[in-house]
Amino acid sequence: MAEVKEYFHIAIRNLRTRSLRSWLTILGIVIGVFLIISLLSLSEGIKQTINQQLRSLGGEMIFVMPGDISNIMAMFTSGAKLEKEDIGAIERTRGVETVLTMSYQSLVARYGQEGKMVFMSGLSWEKGIEIMERFQGWSLKQGEWPTPGKREILIGKQVETEIFEKPVKVGSEIVIKGKRFKVVGILNSLGSKQDDSSLYLDLSLYQDLTGEKRGAAQMAMVKVRDGSDVNKVAEDIKENLSETRKRRIGTDVADFSVITSEKMGDIAGSIMAVIQFAIIAFAGIAIVVGGIGIMNTMFTSIRERTREIGIMKAVGARNSAVLIIFLFEAGIIGFAGGIGGTFLGAGLAKAIEMYGQVHPLFYFSASITPGLIVFGLVFSFLVGCLSGFFPARRAANLKPVEALRRYE
Amino acid sequence: MAEPVIKLENVWKIYQLGKVELVALKGINLEVAPGAFVSIMGPSGSGKSTILNMIGCLDFPTQGKVFLKGEDISLLTENQLSQLRGKTIGFVFQEFNLLPNLSALENVMLPMIFQGMSEEERRERAKALLTSMGLGERIFHQSPELSAGERQRVAIARAFANNPELVIADEPTGNLDSVTGKKIMEILTDFHKKEGKTIIVVTHDPNIANYSEEIINIKDGQIIANHLTASKVLWQR
Repeated sequence: MAEVKEYFHIAIRNLRTRSLRSWLTILGIVIGVFLIISLLSLSEGIKQTINQQLRSLGGEMIFVMPGDISNIMAMFTSGAKLEKEDIGAIERTRGVETVLTMSYQSLVARYGQEGKMVFMSGLSWEKGIEIMERFQGWSLKQGEWPTPGKREILIGKQVETEIFEKPVKVGSEIVIKGKRFKVVGILNSLGSKQDDSSLYLDLSLYQDLTGEKRGAAQMAMVKVRDGSDVNKVAEDIKENLSETRKRRIGTDVADFSVITSEKMGDIAGSIMAVIQFAIIAFAGIAIVVGGIGIMNTMFTSIRERTREIGIMKAVGARNSAVLIIFLFEAGIIGFAGGIGGTFLGAGLAKAIEMYGQVHPLFYFSASITPGLIVFGLVFSFLVGCLSGFFPARRAANLKPVEALRRYE
Repeated sequence: MAEPVIKLENVWKIYQLGKVELVALKGINLEVAPGAFVSIMGPSGSGKSTILNMIGCLDFPTQGKVFLKGEDISLLTENQLSQLRGKTIGFVFQEFNLLPNLSALENVMLPMIFQGMSEEERRERAKALLTSMGLGERIFHQSPELSAGERQRVAIARAFANNPELVIADEPTGNLDSVTGKKIMEILTDFHKKEGKTIIVVTHDPNIANYSEEIINIKDGQIIANHLTASKVLWQR
């Protein structure tokens, strides 16, 4: 085994002698591993953020939205609403404890001299505060909960400092559509950039402001009674809604979606799985190209060093010794590329994460686990060894006399 | 007579160059006794290098047998042969053939690695060998930093590394000036005399052949004379 250390030493020497070529080959691997690590850590981070948000919803919630979830764009842009009858139908369903209706829209809010487009959610304070506290993880950073019916609003954490030039404080006034609202509380971060940059006000005030029909809503969150089967309740809600709608409009087109938080997780999970698959496929191509680079370098190097191989064999090197030396060279190239790629990839992911913290649209963290780093290093070492195997075997099988004669 | 270090028995070597057959050796019979100092002489194309490859167990004959210390090398696997070659034979080449990436010391240590010697032992022995060659100050230099004579002395130290029975030198002075060449031959002769080791030198230079105790002339792949003095260099006539 002691000689293996020497082989390693010789391999390092050989790489150093051809340092430019070695570095260029390493660069090829760096790029591939960099792609894999940065994309994987980001997509894993997004997945975790989504899961975290879903967990904060609690498993017992059901969401009812107008429109078909399989066409998300249409669902959010159609402006379809849940009518009063629909909400009644949901409330009547067996196993339903509370129905919390919500509406949201982007509006211009003025704070001091500044007007900014902000996202505004209306939800009924009376039922809402308790549910939001218990199931959405709402908590006050500052101030107090608003009183139902009063012109008081809550603001997300981002609104406090990021949206307007001047920080918004508890007690400040924000003007929306010419009406003054008093900021009474600032929420702690809700884990999503959009939620954190929203204004929250009582649903009835929201409806006055936007002209939305009283009793209607854009979305309903349903709290299921303890002991009821969430999926069964969701099915029943769907059925009741269909009947109500059929009576009213005369069609049975399913233009609403009833989703449990568990199913939402499934949907998000399957989308992320497709994205991650695509990432791995593309980054895999980059790695294969890098591997071919190693193979090319090794074949060239073996052609150049045929005579050296002959000398080593003449002085007693076994095939395995030559094989190990060349495998080490390829493996070291791969491993060095892996270190560089992992380092840069993790760095980029961290940089994006930091950028994401200040940008109002993104809000995710990169997930750089020790497992991912070990994977990056081991994987690149293996790619190196694998790409080096055929060249190394050719070197090992050279006949000493042929090798010595070559290039004489 | 003691068992020969190397014995060639009716050795033929035929190279297939496309459709043309080139017969390099035509039934060579040769025995080299332990402790002998033999020169093999011949003009270029006479088959000297081929015979050297056979003696050095670097190649297998097309026909006939090669025995290294009584062992038929055709029965050995390539790895066993490498091992045996590394232990029994030291090579000195005309072009020195040092590994350019390694220092003089590491070049001398190289054959010992393949024999599984411990690092300390290797280092000690390599240092001692290089010092005895007058290279004590140059052990950490790589071969491009050494003069031709120094390189050849490193190569000789490497050939002696595993204390081999047999040292084969292929035109060892071919790339050296006459003064340096003389020094190199003195080192080889010394080794032969002091350690009683077998030396086979391949050369076309009668002055070099004169150092040896036995001269074998070959021409067209055959041994044409076996004699003691270089004055009988038959092929020159």
